[in-house]
Amino acid sequence: MPTMTYLQAISAALRDELRADDRVLVMGEDIGVFGGAFKVTDGFIDEFGPDRVMDTPLAESGIIGTAIGAAVVGMRPVCEMQFADFISCGFDQLVNVAAKMHYRQGLAVPLVVRLPSGGGFSGGPFHSQNPEAWFMHAPGIKVVAPSTAADAKGLLHAAIRDPNPVCYMEHKHLYRRVKGEVPEGIEETPMTARVARPGNDLVVIAYGAMVHTALEATEDLDGASVEVLDLRSLVPLDTGAILDSVARCSKVVIVDEANTTCAAGAQVAAHIAEHAFEDLDGPVVRVSTPDVPIPFSPPLEQAVLPSVERVREACRELLAY
Amino acid sequence: MSSSRAETSAGAGLVDVTMPQMGVSVAEGTVVGWRVEVGDRIEVDQTICEISTDKIDTEVPAPIGGVVAEILVPLDTTVSVGTVLARIGSGSGAAAGAGPEAPRAEAAAKNTQPPYDDAPESGSRRDGRNGSAASPASAGAGAGADRRRYSPVVQRIAGEHGIDLSQIEGTGRGGRVRKQDVLAYLEEGAAEEAPLHIESPYRPESVAPAAPPLPATAPDSPTPTVPGTPPVRVAPPPEAPVPAAEGGQLSRMRRQIGEHMKRSLDTAAHCTTWIEVDMSRVEAARTRLRVTALAFMARAVIDALREHPALNAWLEGERYTQHTDVNLGIAVSLGEDGLIVPVIPRAHELSVEGLAARIKDLARRARARELTPDDVRGGTFTITNPGQYGSIMATPIINLPQVGILDFEAVVKRAVVITDGAGNDSIAIRPMTILGLSWDHRALDGALAAQFLATVKRHLEGVTIS
Repeated sequence: MPTMTYLQAISAALRDELRADDRVLVMGEDIGVFGGAFKVTDGFIDEFGPDRVMDTPLAESGIIGTAIGAAVVGMRPVCEMQFADFISCGFDQLVNVAAKMHYRQGLAVPLVVRLPSGGGFSGGPFHSQNPEAWFMHAPGIKVVAPSTAADAKGLLHAAIRDPNPVCYMEHKHLYRRVKGEVPEGIEETPMTARVARPGNDLVVIAYGAMVHTALEATEDLDGASVEVLDLRSLVPLDTGAILDSVARCSKVVIVDEANTTCAAGAQVAAHIAEHAFEDLDGPVVRVSTPDVPIPFSPPLEQAVLPSVERVREACRELLAY
Repeated sequence: MSSSRAETSAGAGLVDVTMPQMGVSVAEGTVVGWRVEVGDRIEVDQTICEISTDKIDTEVPAPIGGVVAEILVPLDTTVSVGTVLARIGSGSGAAAGAGPEAPRAEAAAKNTQPPYDDAPESGSRRDGRNGSAASPASAGAGAGADRRRYSPVVQRIAGEHGIDLSQIEGTGRGGRVRKQDVLAYLEEGAAEEAPLHIESPYRPESVAPAAPPLPATAPDSPTPTVPGTPPVRVAPPPEAPVPAAEGGQLSRMRRQIGEHMKRSLDTAAHCTTWIEVDMSRVEAARTRLRVTALAFMARAVIDALREHPALNAWLEGERYTQHTDVNLGIAVSLGEDGLIVPVIPRAHELSVEGLAARIKDLARRARARELTPDDVRGGTFTITNPGQYGSIMATPIINLPQVGILDFEAVVKRAVVITDGAGNDSIAIRPMTILGLSWDHRALDGALAAQFLATVKRHLEGVTIS
């Protein structure tokens, strides 16, 4: 198996799909000639041509609206938002048109929107958000968020081959930091959770970049056996895996890089409270970003994002409870 | 446990310990063992002697702490309720008479080694003393535990295993009981909460410490002291009867059981009838209700007795009495020591859960030697349930003057032929048991016994819980 960075795995998945299926096309701002702001589609235009690697105007509603039309007539478009934050301009097309198409007209919209998200690199309030919960709240859209190179590739395959609109949350901070072995060929990752590390005393539930924060924070926690559950998919949410972990560990810390209120972790916490009450041996604890825009100032940004130290402290507290 | 009356003897500064009233029907009791001797310092509630009635054996606790001044009833003597058994010098007298004793008593209260290593049988008495000294402390912990809160998972596990959470020491913040604490307790303490028919609550009586030389008085001629005269040192009783396993004389309990069983076999015309029962529904229901199969069996037997009251009866000589109430006896094994049959009075008024709770309570009290004679009288029918070792059939002996006893042995998975509504046969795996009913042919005939068993079977196979 080749070793790739998270970013290379995304590129590889796109390239494999473009080669495998004529209906697949990619579109976005500066993704063609320039190769994309993060160089995910570097060189694609040479191999696949401008009809399948389309540079678009700076208009997210136009990108997504065009892609919806293409999807309805049978294409499999993959749209790149230059930054996840900018999807607010395409919100109506995605939430009101794409998400409801199947329910209103019985038409499938096999559309993928790639959303480079997350902070940690002093990108400021317009380039650092984690907007996944916006789309979890819109029925009809799937939301996935890989944390490893292998899942970055496998989940993008699964998203492109899914008949529904899928928001593919790719974490910018992981692009070149995370490396790993990636299966060769097209191998879909199921939209289910993954036990990143098994344990018995406490489970940390996370997704995306926070999986790595959780693993580091609990690697050596005074000998406690700490499980880390990587959700991988937020819609559908793997409630079975969540309840299994809670039944085993009875203590839960949920980590969100997103702002606290109504984040994905809030939904996980609510589900546990309702369905795993009799398995709990302590309060369901959340660690997340407070309800403020992500600051530009590097020390301030580090202060608001969930750090290894904060996660570790929350786990210590709960273990001692 | 019933407490004995204590009265201060006028002018003597002594407190009387009397033969306790242990139940409405009990008029007299026999002293079967003295645990103290004259001159011994004792704590309040420490056992000073063992007594036996025709129903039950129990212990007499000291009403106050002090020094044993007199022992008035010799071993193996039967006296009426209220008779003074011993006298204890009160605390004030003891303190005045023996200044150095006070710190000793304090030391004992702190649960340190009692300073009586020179006394005979110190082993067994030390246990009693430590036990009573520790009880206030554990009671305090219990009161504190009542204020503790428990997490949902801790409560669920405790409920599933019938654990008293106040017994568990918490290792969480502020002594909070964590899931790990309950699991650890379960692992260690599983043997302590033995079900019916497993462990004896009685201390092994035969393990006598090497007895130091005794005073001169002969053991079988203790001299009751006259108030006012200096206390005469009474020799301790010989060690309690040695169990048969060691080749000695039969214990008192074994002798009583033997007499009772032999009398029953000599008197009643014993017959045993068996029936096979599919326990699938009981097994499913008991898992949901978290009670034992015995509780369901008790309920089914009660229902069957109401339908066939001829079995809910006594036969005394030629006098046959049917009872309206079902006072259900449940045989509880006390291990090597023997067997006792506490009774659930008016058991027909109880639900399955109610029966389960009563059975559990009786078993616990039987093991803790806390049954009173009232707990073992008035039974109208008996269930015995020795199936945990896998035995499948027995011929139980009727508990006179009752006319029937039901034997409930192991539930075993078997391949059985079942027939569906359309008459098609198939082979299924079902949890099955064989119920054995021993009945007195003087009181009834085999057809009724079979009908009764069929009714029990119908109730067990029709168990539903809403």
